[in-house]
Amino acid sequence: MIGNGERTAVKPDTYPQLPVRRRLLLNRYFAIDGGHGAHLLAALAGSSPYIQAVASPRHADILLIIAPVSRKLVPSIVEIAEALPQPAHVLLVEEQAGELDPRAATDIADLDELFPGARRMKASSGADIHDAMLDPAPWMELTLTEAQVPDVETIQLPPKPEQEMATELVVLSLGPIQPFTAGPLRVLLICDGEQVFATQVESGYAHRGIAQAMLQAHWQQALTLSRTLDPLAPLACQLAYVRVLEQLQGWQPSPATVSMREAALALERARNYLWWVVRFMRLLSDAHFSDRSYQLANAYEVCLAQVWRQRPRTWLLPQRQEHMRVDAAVVAKLHRLASDVEALCTSIERNRWLKLRTRGIGELAAADLRERNVSGPVLLASEHGVGDVQDRVVTRLQQTASDLRGAVAVLEQHPSVATHAAHWDIPVGEAHASVQGPRGCIGIHVKSDGGAKPGHVEWQAPSAALLPLLPELLAGQKLADAEIILASLDLALAEVDG
Amino acid sequence: MSALLTSLLILLGLCVGTYCIAVIQQLVLLGPRRASAAFLLPLASAWRLLHQENLVPRHADYFLFRSAPFIAIAVVALTALVMPLGPNLVGFNPSIGLFYFIVLLSPFVVALMNAGWSQNSKEGLFSTFRAAAYLISYEVPIGFAAIGPVMAAQSLATQQIVQSQAALWYVVWQPLGLVIYLLAALFVTFRHPFDSALAGSELEGGVFAEYSGPRLLLFTWALDAIFLLLMGMGVILFFGGWQGPFLPAPLWLAIKTFLLAAVVLWLGRFLPRLRNDQMLTLCWKILLPASLVNITLVGILTLLIPGGSR
Repeated sequence: MIGNGERTAVKPDTYPQLPVRRRLLLNRYFAIDGGHGAHLLAALAGSSPYIQAVASPRHADILLIIAPVSRKLVPSIVEIAEALPQPAHVLLVEEQAGELDPRAATDIADLDELFPGARRMKASSGADIHDAMLDPAPWMELTLTEAQVPDVETIQLPPKPEQEMATELVVLSLGPIQPFTAGPLRVLLICDGEQVFATQVESGYAHRGIAQAMLQAHWQQALTLSRTLDPLAPLACQLAYVRVLEQLQGWQPSPATVSMREAALALERARNYLWWVVRFMRLLSDAHFSDRSYQLANAYEVCLAQVWRQRPRTWLLPQRQEHMRVDAAVVAKLHRLASDVEALCTSIERNRWLKLRTRGIGELAAADLRERNVSGPVLLASEHGVGDVQDRVVTRLQQTASDLRGAVAVLEQHPSVATHAAHWDIPVGEAHASVQGPRGCIGIHVKSDGGAKPGHVEWQAPSAALLPLLPELLAGQKLADAEIILASLDLALAEVDG
Repeated sequence: MSALLTSLLILLGLCVGTYCIAVIQQLVLLGPRRASAAFLLPLASAWRLLHQENLVPRHADYFLFRSAPFIAIAVVALTALVMPLGPNLVGFNPSIGLFYFIVLLSPFVVALMNAGWSQNSKEGLFSTFRAAAYLISYEVPIGFAAIGPVMAAQSLATQQIVQSQAALWYVVWQPLGLVIYLLAALFVTFRHPFDSALAGSELEGGVFAEYSGPRLLLFTWALDAIFLLLMGMGVILFFGGWQGPFLPAPLWLAIKTFLLAAVVLWLGRFLPRLRNDQMLTLCWKILLPASLVNITLVGILTLLIPGGSR
């Protein structure tokens, strides 16, 4: 079951030791991700036995909300908060690196007003949230300013062909708060028994108006906003913006700079793929692969923190690079990690039990995907295989290994790159740039009128191309497979809703 | 020892045993390095649930919703009575003890169906249908798997079945029966990977989705207890029950039961949660024919093995 590769030397248990008093504060939490926190929640779920994620709010003590959340999500949050049995508490978390400027955001709910007295914190890792949850300081009881009972929504059922045995259609709502996508998405499954008959998709729950906000910001401030388009791939979004600015400025980066940027992108893609595998295996309830992938993802986080002397966001500025040196030991660790990921991929490919749940479901034809401008691992899986869920898992792991090896080659070749001065004078013109993010091609189109702010900004998000496929993809599938198919697409809703 | 005292002893053993099953489950989940967490977590969890609000959802069937956990507990208590902890150490010893045990498993699933049905939610309804489908599916294979030891022991009395294994445990010549029994036992107890009626995330926690506080604690306790009892019955049917050298009989039964439970739970780690139609396929297309083959083989071997038929 272990596979052929050498295992990364990571302690199987990375839980922090806690005093007994804090251990008795066992917390069950129900998590709501406004769009920024998929990686935080994946890291948190395995971080300690003393905090447990639950599927129903009735079983929870803590309502964990990764802010910001859009106003459209508020009725669902209220419904969940009302379902929590007392005593219950609320923890509002803001992802430190993905913090959104509230002045620029257009559609953000005021959670402090909704949950007066709720504990609030900034977190950059699952460990930060873990510590806050097990903090023995007294918590305020969950109170809602206004107990709104959301209206019961009704939808028009599609016509059903006559059958010998008459059955009734049932509408089941997946989401908007669910673990199958990064960020909120509501999928209404119209089921005929255990089979999905038709699907309706409702997005816009993570809407923050990033493109609109960028128009109100200075060129330099817009760089910060661009990071938040896809909070799980901030570097890719930022780099797309930097490239478009450099095109407008008519500046050509050196080959070393280009290589280093590609390496940074590859490392970010690998991070996304690994955490996605962790979330996916948890969804399948496969404890063995879930533990293995969690250990790899954690080891990778440790490596990644050591790779860059400074975080890429500080040196990936237009026409500016910092000197950096990468430790040879870290490069060796990355090599080992790539081997471990390959071993995990081989194990998953050979595992017959896993194939029972992933083989032959959610098939997508490569031609259809190309026609709809789908890119990234979903397209690759359809090009190199039959394009089912199993192929998507394997493709992502193969891509992780190949990205890691590619990044290592660059880091070995270019231990440092030249420095240029950053400047923000953008001449009149328009340009388009794209980068290969973890979910596919992230594109940006920018117009400049020579002023201090962008004249027009339009983002092209890879997950957006996949959303229209969902009704067709899920129709005819089993109810239990619907969530797995949805998860296999790795939709980032913050990016789709913008 | 009076029957009342024995019954109390069995119920006490059930409470301790259930805690041990919860600890084993945590150990399997967390790894042996986290032994302290594994011992502490079930207690901390029970403490939390005891102090939580007991919510009843809007428009729920009040009587069914409230009574369901108590039906589950009643089933556990009644089945525990026929579990022999040692020679003449059994709460209730009818001549059809094994039959009584298997028949009483059905109301346990009925308790879960009541829980799902009474919630007045679509998710609960789907979970109920799934539970009902499993109820019909598992009963045939678990009954057929238990027929093997009954044929060999020529008795339905659990005491007699254990005593007839003095020379040779039935697992040695009925391994197929054991496998069928364990798989069906996982069905009955809604354990991973056959837990789609309880844990399917598309159903937000299934039949327990709307339960909180002490009622949820009762249900989780009943689930662990019924798993313990089924593992204990597995030991009685296939591993010689309480028989073993040096140690007292109840201790031998406990050791074998917990070892069997640990192995079963550990193997579950390597499997993803199965879809409900895959579970039904497994039951009707694989376990049922296999259990018929097992009965035929046992019939032949009973005649061939010296002392096979007592």
